[in-house]
Amino acid sequence: MHLDPFELHRPESVEKAVRLARELAPGFDYLAGGTDLLPNYKMHLNVRPHLIALDRIPELQGYDLDRIGAMARLADLDTDPEISKHYPALGEAVHGVATPLVRASGTVGGNLLVETRCFFFNQSFFWRASLGFCLKADGDTCHVVPQKEKCYATFSGDLAPALEVLGAAVELAGPDGHRRLPLEDLYAADGDGIQRHHLRPGDLLVAVHLPPEARRRRSTYVKLRPRPSFDFPELGLAVALAREGDRLTALDIAAGGLETYPRRFPSITDGYVGGTLSTDRIGELARTVQAAVRPVHNTAYPPDYRKRMTGVFVRRAVTTLWEQRGGS
Amino acid sequence: MATPRQPELRLLGGAIPYIEGPLKVSGRAEYTDDMKRPGMLVGKLLRAPWPHARLVRVDATKARAMPGVFAVLTGERYPTPFGVLPITKDETAIAVDRSRYIGDIVAAVAAQDELTAERALAAVEIDVEPLPEYSDPRVGRERVDVPIHEKGLNHSNIQKEVVQHFGDVDAAFRAATATVRVRASFAGVTHAFTEPQCTIAEATPDGRLTVWSSTQVPHYLHRALSEVLGLPMHRIRVVKPEVGGGFGGKSDPLPHEIACAALALETGRPVKILFDRDEVFYTNHGRHPTYNDVRIAADAEGNLLGYDIEAVIEGGAWSSFGTVTTYYNGVMAMGPYLLPSFRYKGQRVFTNRPPSGAMRAHGGTNIRYSVEVGLDELAEKLQLDPFDLRSRNALPPNSTTINEFRVTSTSFLKCLEAVRERSGWADKWRRLPYGQGVGLGCGFYISGSNSPIHFTPKMPQCTVHLKADMDGGITVHCMQADIGQGSNTLLAAIVAEVVGVSLDRIHVSPVDSDVTPVDIGSYSSRVTFMMGNAARKAAEGLRDRLVEATHQLTGYPREAIRVGVERFEVEHRPDIGATYMEALHQAIQTTGALQSTGAYTSPPVGGTFKGARAGTAPAYSFAAYVAQVSVDDETGVYDVEKVWAAFDCGRPLNRLAVEGQIHGSIHMGLGQFMGESMDYRGTRLMNPSLLDYKIIMPHQMPEVECLLVGADDPEGPFGAKEAGEGPLVATLPAVANALYDAIGVRFYDLPVTPDRVIKGLDRRRTDSRLWKGH
Amino acid sequence: MTTQRVLRLAINGQPVEVPSPPERILLDLLREDLNLTGTKRGCDLGTCGCCTVLLDGRPTLSCLTLATLAEGRAITTIEGISSGTELHPVQKAFVECGATQCGFCTPGFVLSAVALLRDHPRASRGEVVDAISGNLCRCTGYTKIVEAILAARPGGPG
Repeated sequence: MHLDPFELHRPESVEKAVRLARELAPGFDYLAGGTDLLPNYKMHLNVRPHLIALDRIPELQGYDLDRIGAMARLADLDTDPEISKHYPALGEAVHGVATPLVRASGTVGGNLLVETRCFFFNQSFFWRASLGFCLKADGDTCHVVPQKEKCYATFSGDLAPALEVLGAAVELAGPDGHRRLPLEDLYAADGDGIQRHHLRPGDLLVAVHLPPEARRRRSTYVKLRPRPSFDFPELGLAVALAREGDRLTALDIAAGGLETYPRRFPSITDGYVGGTLSTDRIGELARTVQAAVRPVHNTAYPPDYRKRMTGVFVRRAVTTLWEQRGGS
Repeated sequence: MATPRQPELRLLGGAIPYIEGPLKVSGRAEYTDDMKRPGMLVGKLLRAPWPHARLVRVDATKARAMPGVFAVLTGERYPTPFGVLPITKDETAIAVDRSRYIGDIVAAVAAQDELTAERALAAVEIDVEPLPEYSDPRVGRERVDVPIHEKGLNHSNIQKEVVQHFGDVDAAFRAATATVRVRASFAGVTHAFTEPQCTIAEATPDGRLTVWSSTQVPHYLHRALSEVLGLPMHRIRVVKPEVGGGFGGKSDPLPHEIACAALALETGRPVKILFDRDEVFYTNHGRHPTYNDVRIAADAEGNLLGYDIEAVIEGGAWSSFGTVTTYYNGVMAMGPYLLPSFRYKGQRVFTNRPPSGAMRAHGGTNIRYSVEVGLDELAEKLQLDPFDLRSRNALPPNSTTINEFRVTSTSFLKCLEAVRERSGWADKWRRLPYGQGVGLGCGFYISGSNSPIHFTPKMPQCTVHLKADMDGGITVHCMQADIGQGSNTLLAAIVAEVVGVSLDRIHVSPVDSDVTPVDIGSYSSRVTFMMGNAARKAAEGLRDRLVEATHQLTGYPREAIRVGVERFEVEHRPDIGATYMEALHQAIQTTGALQSTGAYTSPPVGGTFKGARAGTAPAYSFAAYVAQVSVDDETGVYDVEKVWAAFDCGRPLNRLAVEGQIHGSIHMGLGQFMGESMDYRGTRLMNPSLLDYKIIMPHQMPEVECLLVGADDPEGPFGAKEAGEGPLVATLPAVANALYDAIGVRFYDLPVTPDRVIKGLDRRRTDSRLWKGH
Repeated sequence: MTTQRVLRLAINGQPVEVPSPPERILLDLLREDLNLTGTKRGCDLGTCGCCTVLLDGRPTLSCLTLATLAEGRAITTIEGISSGTELHPVQKAFVECGATQCGFCTPGFVLSAVALLRDHPRASRGEVVDAISGNLCRCTGYTKIVEAILAARPGGPG
């Protein structure tokens, strides 16, 4: 299996990258670790004639507890005990990504911006041609929910829910300079499987910033998938909370693997903050989150099972964190 | 005169590392795709995007005209049908007239590189008339307008129907105190070996065609090439490089192998075809999706009175081994228990989906599941321990089943005893806390299909030639196909054992039809038994020549000379004798290099009724497994913690190989139970990838304790029987029965994924049925 | 036509120059341009691990690595693990424990294991399982592979 020819650009600064992006848009993709992009390119999925490799840009490299460069390798975070210690949800999320071989190349930015997935999209050219192309690649109809307006491809990244509950913000660079926004605002809650980001053409994800409070949170990330490695999340649930005495002082829940974007539930969780969490309250919380999610059948497990497990995972994760001894 | 038992074996019976191991671990073992031939072209296949279509026009003109394209072949060029079974030859190298599933080969191209080949394929113009599509084997069993194959029974899509009745099943059910009925469905599963199919073919101006291919059956490939290409076999040379796994997926001559050879003949250049991973899935030849319905009758004490079985198995687009599979889905229920009556109706039905074929524990897995789950239910009904139900019904040694299978050695009772004890069954069964459980599953399997597939010319099923020359090495020639199961090593070890020499003297010749005498292939678990016996004979012939030479050197009578280690010496006078080299050099004086030959033909067994041969074997293996599981009843996720695997393969000749086969079989069986599934929407395979086809990960593998308790088989080489397929069958029911013990739910639809476990639990709770208090 | 450049690669400790277009995949370059066929092609999509090489010592999928981006990094293939004809202890353990059957997945596992034991000479069974969780095997059920890696630890299997 070969790749179609492309031009490879290797800018050495954010400015150069953004300028190139502006020139080449829309005919380019950024290349980070390649573990998501290259398989899709080999299957002729929305291939572009130009790739802008990000491996030579110093500003994107490296990480510390406050700032994680977009090109920080997942394997580096995975093997760093400081990450797990201070941000358990992030440590657990990183550890669950694919396999150690993928994590060797894969990056934080790449995982945040991972392509959405669907069994009708992630197929060879031959397969898609034989059925008829879909809305997300070369066609005009969705095969999951037959219609021509909305794509239902599922957000399948592990890091986003974990970073969302830790209150992360992303730093973007564009033609008008750098800007920051909360991570959850990067994703289009009002979008679909194609228009899933609030990014402008050429925008480059530079880094993820973690606020000081994140270190004071108890957090966890639990992943539902058929096998303990390789598989994308069928449900990836992140919870962060803070407890003072018997009072819940912060609560955040985010879920990936269910909809077209990694979804937080502030309208649900805000109502619990300030109170205490009893078994009944946790059960109610779990049921409410479960009722709110709407997975479709484009992944390995049926949607009703994933929905039900959302409730189970919320209950278990919140209970574990609530009952944890000490702080984070 | 019977071959004397060798009471003490020096090599055999121990842990013998694979002789080619050092090459494999250093990346030096040569698989087909590692080879290059000068001027080699890239071959690629155009696959049908339609489930069922009449090919009205196939025009390769534009494709042929493209620069860098050396040949484009379409079906009518080589229309002769072939197939692994001589009685059901319905495949062609490239589709002629019709394509029958999404993925069927409709054209083949040879070009200078991959990109050019793909562009050429895209330039082939095909007009089609869509034909009716079939995706369910239960449909299409009545007369249809356009059967998938003309030869379907009564103009339907039934490829094969088997009806058998032994004893009086209806009387058995009338007399029964207890009956159970299991109706089960099984998704198709596939081999998923790591090495995709690859073939290189080269035709040279001296009139010879050489084909290197990743195959389990070089001899069947050789025959098929000759038949389809119209070339005499002696002008065709088939070579088997290292093979990266087969499990039955490479045990048919496959269309791409013939298409590759055809491209080589057409272009006069070597051509290589390497499958992309999705092509491996489209080629399939995996386990048949199955619907079975098994009724079991027993008396009050638990003696089995009979089975009444119906099965519908999905053949997909081609016949492959399917006629045999149709028999096996019934007759592989004939053991390990004594049955006084048996009725079976089996149908194999074509569909417009990737063809089913032979897959490890071929035809024996799905029926075994239903029988063993049924027996677990029967034991419950009769309030018997599942072990007691099995042991009272065990087939005795040296017995004949009602369908005339000849059973010789069986250590099934020993298997039961050993596994019951080692697993701690008595303290666990029905006694573990809710959510934990143990279950018993048993099985048996053929140690080689007794009859060859081809009956002309009449010939042995395996022949081995040895050459020993002055350098002291012994070369073994045999067309046996080592596909990772260790047959090269066994071959070498048997020769080394019998001749009394160091293993490093033995060189196993590469498999090459010009050089190595025919062995019919690695399938039906025949290699240890049949190749082993042939090798032993050949080695004894060589040994006898060296004993003769020692007699000449020492003057002592032949009968007084015994085989030592690198030495032949006089009984009770070990100081008198000759070293191996001395004896060898003595022996070659007049003839030069020594040659020896050994062959194996299985004895005639079985009945004479139609289909009697299916399931006959020169010996059978037996198994009794206990699995221990724990279940999370909120998520349906379960963990198979341990499997105690008691297995009777007679005398295990290479412990490393036998254990490895047990582990690998359990991995494959668990995969089928837990989540492997060829997922279809209608005729469309949804998961042709190793990401979406879920073979299990190391975290999911249980701890396995192998209990090898077999007694020597009287006809197996050194007492050995098979251990390649039998170890799989008992796995699935052991786990299913353990899940029942844990959470009180039975599963009749495989795979048993966590969402199905939750559904099962919901149903039990809806029925208000408590299990262990929950 | 895309721009072809001469790539300067460091493979098994030796400098190698190979002309390559930007879209050339490292796995293809190794197998086809350099005849280093020990690294295997199982799926081309990162779903099996047969193409594992070490990049700067880290087990990486060569089927998802552009050859250009491997310039300036140390590439180790299975051919670089033995010293001449002397097998590495991990390789010896695989042979002796029966951890290799058909052998097609073996180079990938050996590299994952060599890297693990280099960094964690006293790796536990759980760490071994994690480290090999990106390499598929269909023959062994992984059992003897885990055994071999544990046996290859400097302190032995105990």
